[in-house]
This record gives sequence, structure tokens and C-alpha cells, in this order.
Amino acid sequence: MDRRGLLARLRLLAAALLLTPLLSGCWDRLEIDERAVVLGVSIDEATEGDERESEISHVKGSLPPPKHGLVKVGVQIALPGRIPLGPGEGGGGTDPSQTLWVIHVVGHSIDDAFMNLQQQVSSKLFFGHLRIIAVSEAVARKGMENINDYFRRNSEVRRMAWLMVTKGKASSLMTAAPKLERIPTLFLMSTLDNSIRMGKFPKDFIGIYWSNSSKKGQEGFLPYVILKDEQNVEISGLAYFRSEKMVGSTKPMEVAGYLGLKGVNPAGYRAVVMLDEDDPDSAVMTNVTHRQSKIKLSLKDGMPHFHIQVELEANLEEKLSEHLAINDPSVIQQIERKQSETSVKFYQNIIKQTQAKGSDIFGFGEQIRSKKPAYWSREIGTKEKWQEMYKETTFDVEVVVKIRRIGMKAT
Amino acid sequence: MGNTNERPITMLQTATILVSTLIGVGVLPLPLFAVRAADSAAPFVTMLGIGFASISLLLLTWLGIRFPKETIFEYSNRIIGKWLGTVGTLLVILFFAILTSLAAREFGEVVVTSVLKSTPVEVTVIVMLVLAAISTRKPLTLFAYMHNFYFPWLLVPVVLISILSLNNAEIVNLQPIIWSHPQKVFIGTLTIAALFQGSFVITVIIPSMRKPQKAMRASIIGILIAGGLYLVIVSASVGVFGAEEIKKLLWPTLELAKATSLPANVLERLDAAFLAVWVTAVFTTLLSSYFLTLYALKQLFKMQDHRVFSFILLPFVFFMAMLPQNVTHLYGVIEDVGRIGLVITTAYPAVLALLAFVRKKRGESDG
Repeated sequence: MDRRGLLARLRLLAAALLLTPLLSGCWDRLEIDERAVVLGVSIDEATEGDERESEISHVKGSLPPPKHGLVKVGVQIALPGRIPLGPGEGGGGTDPSQTLWVIHVVGHSIDDAFMNLQQQVSSKLFFGHLRIIAVSEAVARKGMENINDYFRRNSEVRRMAWLMVTKGKASSLMTAAPKLERIPTLFLMSTLDNSIRMGKFPKDFIGIYWSNSSKKGQEGFLPYVILKDEQNVEISGLAYFRSEKMVGSTKPMEVAGYLGLKGVNPAGYRAVVMLDEDDPDSAVMTNVTHRQSKIKLSLKDGMPHFHIQVELEANLEEKLSEHLAINDPSVIQQIERKQSETSVKFYQNIIKQTQAKGSDIFGFGEQIRSKKPAYWSREIGTKEKWQEMYKETTFDVEVVVKIRRIGMKAT
Repeated sequence: MGNTNERPITMLQTATILVSTLIGVGVLPLPLFAVRAADSAAPFVTMLGIGFASISLLLLTWLGIRFPKETIFEYSNRIIGKWLGTVGTLLVILFFAILTSLAAREFGEVVVTSVLKSTPVEVTVIVMLVLAAISTRKPLTLFAYMHNFYFPWLLVPVVLISILSLNNAEIVNLQPIIWSHPQKVFIGTLTIAALFQGSFVITVIIPSMRKPQKAMRASIIGILIAGGLYLVIVSASVGVFGAEEIKKLLWPTLELAKATSLPANVLERLDAAFLAVWVTAVFTTLLSSYFLTLYALKQLFKMQDHRVFSFILLPFVFFMAMLPQNVTHLYGVIEDVGRIGLVITTAYPAVLALLAFVRKKRGESDG
């Protein structure tokens, strides 16, 4: 009897011991208030005046720092409990300094800079909610290898985050205080997301940029933004790359050119059409509502040749004077013809511009690789070769514009 | 065991066992293997791999139907003699013990890299192995039920992720569908076929099937579903990322889950959900290879029960799992071991089948 009782007790003890790992919790337990949630990151070149960094992930002599030049990294950390969740809360707390903490550090590489930052912040940096990575044009022109490598390797970063190039200092984007949203990065994000929805910008998340710039017959591009005086942000074109280096940027309207050539929908750009170049009264504005494009590839004398057919559907939005009679179908036809003509020139200019830099952001090379694999592997084969070849590739652009509606006014 | 029916397993159960065994750790690096072999022709290489793998499975099934009451460890003795048969059984035991340990380690590496960063990899590996060891102490019927139970949990999410991600796929990425390096394609085919080696488990199931004649149908269904899933995963990842980007990703399938969001942003990234499912997938795979090893040991020593070995084997498997030095080393080992293993899982049954056919050996059919 006694022995059985002892055995039963031992069993109970063993069962209780089994529970201890459950009670002690998880190895990786990290409470939400112990995390420093990073919402945005800016990356600039360090300038003379920037504070000298302390030796945190390298030591002079034994562990020398990389000789890549310094970067200045700014982060936007959400303050726990300060971010109002609903519109009613907080009572007009539009001052981002109350909800966010912006810190700037200097480092020899991205990771080095983050470690310098970690040394200054008590909580563990958490990148799972990182939405915006802003890179200054100067850094982008020097090369993105380090940035791409770090964020691709980091398992917390989402592929749906936005990477963007800023004209001027990227750090100013972190401290900007737009009025519409309480958190500047969320404002930036919704600016970009909405511009996709309105047909003003292609889907270009960091993951898509990575995929594009990895491809042999295509280059990556990123949104090119400018901080305006009213703390608002203008998407002012595409920053296009050649391999890992930024080589140029387009004008805002030229984003429409990219979208048209790729046939991305929905469409959303307005265009001025001048029926007669000398007559300022003959101008009308049209709003493109639907785009479609067909890219045909052929070989001419051993060189690739593309024939691009773009079809645009548009609505008439405004005219500048009364003497144009829109209720006359022939006038509408005239507008259509005129817009087709100017569009051809417009599209060709964009292609030429990227050709000059050897940066094929449209992925024409991918068309060759996929449709004419034998030609590709014989004549091109590598990314570098295509960058050269792209400059000599010839293009034909054909545009058909159809105006469908004219709004609520009859003439 | 208390089961009066000696042959309780049905055809569908066999098929689900095969599918949930085949979907395992290998799913994560699969697109990388395929793309390394043939760039944009990755789906084609995957198909070749599936074709190759089904040869092994169909041979085993054919042998199993010919000897409906025996496993390969028994009929090999009758076909090629006791000595050679024992050597074959030993090789199978060794190979599947290694396969189990590598799968557990690969699992541990994924978890430690992407989810539980400060949990030691040893802990993740041993938890998984202990779980498998405990579960293998059950009789074959329960083994079948476990696979059955998890089957839909594996299938639905993977299909869902692939379909949702097709939104972002571009056909250009999947072209051209031909390849240019026959040698690379050949090696890639073997690497992918090696991911299907878990199907060896069919040999211990057939003797317990209610109608062993139906094993062929089960095998075909099993390989079609599992192979189809592999193909969908490869096509979706190549379609979304493009071949060149996949070459830069260690676990493209996980990255695919990360890049995919449920409609209306209910979940912005599916990697957490996917990993949860994937843990069960790894578990069922480990369960099968561990079970197979135990069963082979049992028949080698002519024991009544395979349970004795479940904990004896554990330290060895764990030790082997800890041998690779780092992730890169681990994948080198996995690819090499997998391709060498094809000798055991494909060539060995092929020889057996040939000899059984030539010598007209066959098992006693069911009375």
C-alpha cells in the first residue's frame, strides 16, 4: 500500500515537472512594450558635421571598420501607448513628436548604424512593422548593395514595405509632420497606396523592386519623392537604376508613360492636348481611364526590335475656351488624333531617356529572354550585356486614343 | 493493440499517408533547387523530378502487391538471399535515420532563423524528435489516423497561398519553358526526386492494407496530389519572383508566404500562418521516416513490437542532426545525401523487382 502511494505521488510530481516548461514561458518572449517598433528608416550619406560614432561593432586596431564611407541612418520609433487608435482619441495630437521618436545615428554600414542605435535605445529594435525606407539620392547613386542585402536578409522586414528615393535629405522625411495622418510614415504609405489605386503609380513594393532588379533583362525603379514646404510629399517620378546604382529620375508625368507602355490599370493621368500649337485657346484636358499595351518583339538585322501598341481610353475633362465645339464628332476625332501623335513622341522620349542610361525599367530584355531564348543565350546572356544592348535596341510606338465621354456638359 | 482486424488500412488512408509524408521540410527550399537547375524552366524540372520519384514509388508498390503480406525487409531476404537482404535493410535503416535527422535539423534552422531567434536550435530539434518518437510508439492504425487528421491542414493553406500569390505572378517569368544545361537539369531532377523519398513508407503499409491490390491506385493518387502541390509551389514562386530573385532567397516558399496577403488586408503577410501549418507538415514527415526506421529495425531483429527502439534511436538521430556546421553546410549535405539515397530508394527496389520478376518469386496471396 505504502509503496503504491509513493509511486502515485512520484507520478504526480513527474507530471507537475512536465508543466514547468509551459509555465516558464517562451524563450523568445518579448513583450510589446519591450520592443522598439521601427516604422520608418531613412538612409543618408554622413556629412562632416555629423557626430562621430563610437566604436560599437568594430574597434580600431583589432576589428577595423569597413572602408565604405559612413551612412547616417534615421529611424522613426513608435512610442508605445502614444499612438491614438481611433479618430476621437488624443484630441488633435497631430504633432508627431508626441507619438514618435526620431533618432539619427551614424555607422559604417546599415547594420553597424542599427547597432549603434541599439546601443542607445533600451528596447530591442523590431522591424516587423517597418513600412518606409527612404534613401537619399546621393546614397542611391552610390549603390544600394548594402541596403538591399541587409533588408533581404532580415526576416522581419516585409516585402510589402516601400523603398523610396528622396531628392535631398532622406532624414527630413522622418521628421516631416503632415496634417492628414498622425504618423508621417503612414501618411507616406497611404500616399503611395492611393496613387496605385488612382492609377498614378505602379505597384512597386520593395519586394517587386528586388525582383525587378534581380532579373537579367530588367532594371529596378523606385518612387522618387520630394518633401514640399507644407510638409507634404510629392511623388515626383521614378528613380531608375542600373544594376544597384541609381542612374536617373523621370518627371512625374513620365510615370504615366511607364504605366501606359506597360498597360497598367486603372489609369489616372490627365494630359493637355493642344489641337493647334499656336493657338492657346485650342487646349483641352483629357483623363485617361483605361490603358492597354501590346509589345511585339521581332529581330531586325540581328538586333531586337520592339513594336509597342498602346491603346488609351480617355474622357474629356476640360477645355480652355468656348470656341471648340465638342458636340462635333470630327472635333473629338481631331483630339484623338492629336493626342495619339503627341503620345507617340512622349512614349518614345521616355524610352530614349532610359536607353541613354542603359536602364531597362520596362523589362524589354525579359521579353527577349522569354520569347527568343535561343537568341538571348547566344547574343546577350548576361545583365551587363543587355544594359549595353538596350541602348541600341529600336522601338516603334503606335498609340490609339479613344475618347469615350465628355462629362456632364453637352458642348 | 486490441485491434481484431489485422488489415485495417484503406486505400484512401494510404494515399493521405503518402501525401502528408511527401510534403515536408523540402517544400521551403524547393523552388531554389529547381531554379538553380533550370532557371525559368523550374516547373519542368520539378515535373521530371516527380516523374523520377514516381518510378521508385511505383516499383515499391508493385513489389508490395506481389508480396502482399511482407515488407521490403522480408521479401528482400527471399529475393536476394538473407545476407544481401540484411545489408539492404541495414542501408535503408541508416539512410532513413539520417533523413530523419536532416529533416529535423532543417526544421530547426528555419525556426531559429525566422521565428524563434533566441531559442537554441537544439531545443527545437529535440522537441520535434521527441514528439515524433512518442508518436511512433503507437500502432500502425494510429499512425494512419494521424496522417489522415493532418492531411487537410496541409493541403488547404499551401493551395491557398499559391492561388493568392498568382495575383502577382507574371507569365514572362515562367518563360522560356525549355532549358539549356542538360547536366544541371539532370542533377536538379535528382535533387527534387530526392525530396520524395519519404514515399518508401508505402512498403510497411501495404501488408496492413485491407486490399493490397489497391495500393497502386493509392500510390498514384498520392504522388499526383503531392507532386501537383510541388509543381504549384514552384510555378507560383517563379511566377511571382522570377528565377534570378529566387536564386537570392534561401527559402523562396516562405518568402512567397511573406509576400502574399489575404484579400482586403485581413492578414498582410501569411508567413506566420504558413509556418504554423508547415510545422505539422514537418511533423508528419518526421513521423513517417522515424516510423519506417523503427519498423525496419523491428523486422531486422525479428521483434514483435517496434516500440522498443523509439527512444533508443533518439540520441543517435539527434546527434546526427547536430553534425552539420552551418546552414550552407547543411544544404550541401542534404543535397548529397538525398541524391545518394536514390540508390537505396530507387535502384535497390528496381533490382529487387527485376530479380523477383526473373525468378518468378511471389508472395502468398491473401486467402
